[in-house]
Amino acid sequence: MSFKSIFISVFLGTVLIIIALIFNAKRPETDTHQPSPDFIRATGKCAACHRRETAAVVHQFERSEHAKQGLSCLDCHNAVAGQETQAHRGFTIAKHLTAKNCSQCHSTEYTQFLRSRHAAPAWAAVSGARDFTAEQIAFAEKYHKGAVDRPANALAIAEGESAINVGCLGCHDIGKPNADGSIGTCTACHARHSSSIALAREPQTCGQCHMGPDHSQIEIYHESKHGVLYNAQKADMNLNAPPKKLTTADMSVPTCVTCHLSGLDGLNVTHDTTERLSYWLFAVVSDKRPTYQQGQDAMQETCLKCHARSQVKQYYQEAENVVADTNLKITEARELMKSLRDEGLLTKTPFDEPIEFLYFDLWHYYGRTAKHGAFMGGADFVQWHGNYELLLKMTEMKKIAEELRKDSENP
Amino acid sequence: MKTHNGLAAKLLDVFIVVNLAFLALDVFIAHAVNAFAHWAEWIPFYFSLGAPGLLALTVFTKKKRWKHWCRVGIGWSAICIGVTGMLFHLNSHFFSDLTLKNLVYTAPFVAPLAFTGLGLLLIMNGMIHDADVAWAQWVVFIAGCGWGGNFILSILDHAQNGFFNPSEWLPVFTSAMAVGCLATVFLIPYRPLFLKFCIVVLGVNLIVGVAGFGFHFVANLQVPAVGQTAGFLYGAPLFAPLLFPNLSVLAILGIWKLQSEVA
Repeated sequence: MSFKSIFISVFLGTVLIIIALIFNAKRPETDTHQPSPDFIRATGKCAACHRRETAAVVHQFERSEHAKQGLSCLDCHNAVAGQETQAHRGFTIAKHLTAKNCSQCHSTEYTQFLRSRHAAPAWAAVSGARDFTAEQIAFAEKYHKGAVDRPANALAIAEGESAINVGCLGCHDIGKPNADGSIGTCTACHARHSSSIALAREPQTCGQCHMGPDHSQIEIYHESKHGVLYNAQKADMNLNAPPKKLTTADMSVPTCVTCHLSGLDGLNVTHDTTERLSYWLFAVVSDKRPTYQQGQDAMQETCLKCHARSQVKQYYQEAENVVADTNLKITEARELMKSLRDEGLLTKTPFDEPIEFLYFDLWHYYGRTAKHGAFMGGADFVQWHGNYELLLKMTEMKKIAEELRKDSENP
Repeated sequence: MKTHNGLAAKLLDVFIVVNLAFLALDVFIAHAVNAFAHWAEWIPFYFSLGAPGLLALTVFTKKKRWKHWCRVGIGWSAICIGVTGMLFHLNSHFFSDLTLKNLVYTAPFVAPLAFTGLGLLLIMNGMIHDADVAWAQWVVFIAGCGWGGNFILSILDHAQNGFFNPSEWLPVFTSAMAVGCLATVFLIPYRPLFLKFCIVVLGVNLIVGVAGFGFHFVANLQVPAVGQTAGFLYGAPLFAPLLFPNLSVLAILGIWKLQSEVA
């Protein structure tokens, strides 16, 4: 046998083996170092089909921070305890993803979210307590007394099931109780495959739900100086800055999230949207929250990143004056309704008489708008969309009350 | 056109017919994964269904002209299908974004070249007599190209699960040695003993391929899926390891003829 032949064949074979090893070493670690073969395959195999079938989700994921961190599709789509599974082209995946999947890595954020009004109280505001376990109710009631252990919304019931499913729950399902025991979905703010921090920092994301006459925060924001500056300077901002490293250099103008949740210049980050609030502004008559002082201090810490202390104090004082005055106006309306009921001039059925809608609009639309406008720098919303309407509706209510009393005296 | 009456040429014809027929099943399973999303994916399937029968019929005909054009037609069609298939496979992901990831997860781009190899063998078998040394050299050369494909596929396929089991490197190593041996046959004058060494290397690869078939089969039985069919459809490619014994047989056929020429 010719040794030369053997040498050359072994040499060539070895060169090929080295090429194969170099090829494998050049592959990104995130493509090769996963806990199981399924996870490794999922890094590219899922996209092999989904580039054709639902191409947008692949592109969204590829641009996401999750992709940069080397997550594979299975990291999120893998079923966790309590989730129903389905076989999908050689992979076993969860049938529905919930906040529980996100909480595998983001447990702190999930726990903070659970304490917030975005969790169980959001769902209960429409559907009441019936869908929650006793433990979930007890947990939520610790932070939001009466917000979960309550009946379903009377107005929603009057509007009917289709309005509830497509309308109310379109927003209120942010706190939906899931079959796996978790509550809510993170994708309401962060989107599914983008899983974006920048998206959550966009005012319009909050504005998907916090809009319209009953909670017109997005309209108020865009009227405010904050909103005007943000819209003008958005291109200069770094909305993708990591939460714990966000500075005023990244976002020199605040959006909703900056004031309510962000860890601006070293502040604590939170996913509890109630942590920096001092009043129950959404309520009929707005009282101070039990955590009034902590909430106000926490919010003012954020204000102080841009404004002088004296300015912040004055701003808060003026806003609280609006709250107090609005409370007086709504209390007057509430007293009027109570007296009509006591006099037997109204039925016990909710939302079956015009004056009930007037009263509801008065506090639910215009009262809230005036109070939110005061705290968010929305002058027009304090005045024209708030106090003017309060005056108008109160006058109309008084007129109707007068007529009801006249009619009862002269049947 | 030479006649091809020798035993080796007949064995090569059988090899081509069996391979073309088997490709019908292989193509059907591979393209069922994406439910034959593009109409062109049916072409190699129907071609593999029809061509072996037509080729087998040529054995019984005495019309030499018809037989000749039939073989040439099937041969060139197979070549075209193979090359076009490779381009389609690469176009599925790789051309859009030339990355290693896309190369790994693109449709197996080497696989359609099986048609090209068989087409070339068919045409060559009709043009060169098996007593001619060139016949054996071409068989070894085409088998060597096939082993190159085996080497690439064994890297890319196993890269899809990150060589999770170290044994997945075995076919990479052995196919690299097979490519080295068959390339050497063309680089320097060969001697009978080296050809025997090549046969040993190919024999080892044959065993690796059969073992690989077993490993893939067992893995697919264990894969979590709705029923066994889905496991085999989306799991490890069942027939891919059989390319090792298949191409070992082809290379050994060529080497056997080379040996007889050296002797």
